[in-house]
Amino acid sequence: MEIAYRLDRPLPIEARLTVAGFTVLAGASGEGKTSLLKAIAGLLPAEGEPFGGLPPQRRPVGYLPQGYALFPHLLAWENVAFALPRGRGRRERALALMARLGVAGLAERLPQALSGGQQQRVALARALARDPELLLLDEPTSALDPATRDAVLGELIEEIRRIGLPTLAVTHDVHLAAMADRMALLVGRRIVQQGTPRQVFAAPVDSRAARLLGYRNLLTGTVDSLAAGFALVALDGLRLAAPAPPWAARGMRVGIAIRSEDISLVETGAAPADANALERIALALTLTEVREEGLALRLAAHGSVALDILLPRGAAGSGLSAGARVLALIRPEHVHLFRAEIVPGIMHG
Amino acid sequence: MSAARASFRTRAGGFPAAPVLGLLALLFLTAPFAALAFATEWRRFHFISGDFDAAFVSVALSLLALPIIAAFGTPLAWWLARREFRWKWLIDAAVLLPLLTPPLALGILLASLYGPYGPAGALLERVGLVLTNTAPAFVLAQIYGAMPYYVITARAAFESVPRELEDLALTLGKERWQVFLEVSLPLARLGLAAGLALAWVRALGEFGIVLITAYFPHGIPVKLWVNLEDTGLSAVYPLLWLFFLVAMPLPLWLGMVSRRRGIF
Repeated sequence: MEIAYRLDRPLPIEARLTVAGFTVLAGASGEGKTSLLKAIAGLLPAEGEPFGGLPPQRRPVGYLPQGYALFPHLLAWENVAFALPRGRGRRERALALMARLGVAGLAERLPQALSGGQQQRVALARALARDPELLLLDEPTSALDPATRDAVLGELIEEIRRIGLPTLAVTHDVHLAAMADRMALLVGRRIVQQGTPRQVFAAPVDSRAARLLGYRNLLTGTVDSLAAGFALVALDGLRLAAPAPPWAARGMRVGIAIRSEDISLVETGAAPADANALERIALALTLTEVREEGLALRLAAHGSVALDILLPRGAAGSGLSAGARVLALIRPEHVHLFRAEIVPGIMHG
Repeated sequence: MSAARASFRTRAGGFPAAPVLGLLALLFLTAPFAALAFATEWRRFHFISGDFDAAFVSVALSLLALPIIAAFGTPLAWWLARREFRWKWLIDAAVLLPLLTPPLALGILLASLYGPYGPAGALLERVGLVLTNTAPAFVLAQIYGAMPYYVITARAAFESVPRELEDLALTLGKERWQVFLEVSLPLARLGLAAGLALAWVRALGEFGIVLITAYFPHGIPVKLWVNLEDTGLSAVYPLLWLFFLVAMPLPLWLGMVSRRRGIF
């Protein structure tokens, strides 16, 4: 399903994206994600397709707001039955929907007696009762218990896939996007990128998209040469190899994005030199900070460039402390180039 | 854990004067009624002629005024709660005006509008509706006295209904009037019941407006005045007990049923 919406209030937003299967639209807070969903549901004035011009009650849309908005004065099954016509079989239809989502046992409870995950399923059953053509989810992870969040959400996504309903979920959490069939990025109140999570994560279009996608190492450089599908990018006296995007040309300013977890370490006693080859990039750095992050280690290292590194437990170098000299290894295919913004320098953050 | 519990206890007991002050307020408010129990001459307790008629007039006509107040006050309250427009503060002030006006003055204003020489009164008399010293005049006075209380309370009740729930009901295919009946009204029911109870006690107790526009038929407040003038205190206290007996059940019942699920 193709979605194209434009709204002026409360925020000017323009969004064109394809929704297929479970699609996630990721954006930082304040980008107007909730407003966009409300506009598609007909709750905010906007122009766009599909459903443009219809009042909310005529739009075949299932909307799950943040917190799910179950009716507190109705039992769970009455919530599910809300959209069903009155008459015989209403309760049975509601219970069948609840059974499909594994919450039939909660039918007689009031919403406040349900956990976040249970409320989500009841709200989903309520939305499905209307036979919508499109499901809209606002921050589906926000009201879930962090301990079971991923499992609950994984099951929910499986359920939605089984039902086969196109779904648009908006979130600030790119982690959720990684579980989706398709994803899009909302940056500067526009869709800057969309595709499968693999495509999008591998090719951030600019520094803001890269930051949103969780890239912590953002640098700028100049394309020095192009050969065999690779580009050599010069920055601060060293040269990095990276797969060359089709738009790259010699002499062009480019942004460079490297994920913290894509960097590995080799301990070295002596001061090693930077080395660079198409197989691997090796940078001689000194650790300036070592911090535990759950079971992993987050390191800051300085040398010809400053890097943020996330080492999984047991990885080489995890016994090191600040001051240690290391060789940081990066595979060139993990170095992503994007067009540098007009204002360079903002990327040295 | 124990530290957290200790700090909670400190916070809960952090203002020990609160229950004491609350109790004092309650004593202050109920003291006159305790005095009534002592002042009543129970051995010579008796009603005088017209007391029961007055009770009937008060209850029956208030029961007529209440649905009218709800029928017209609810849409106004809803409109004030949900619509934003430029001169809204003027409407707010207009709703407060009958509350602000001293009851006696409001009664005089009503007499000059609905009385036999008033513009509305002259017109209505032509269709047979006399709004001076009649049952309709009594109901009219009660509506003026009680409706603003209902509108203000009901408006707050509607404002407390999360708009998100009303929006969501729309996305589930309901028309706006269905959303009002199935979501807004049930969720506002506590406040609406409180507003009705408040309107009821205001209507029953109304004296100043009624005194001017509907001295007859006597309701309990005017009859209390008449008893005091004609007979003295011994005729006031029994009627006052009767007043409490007939006035209290409805607000108590409203408070009870509105707390139950699904009364609407």
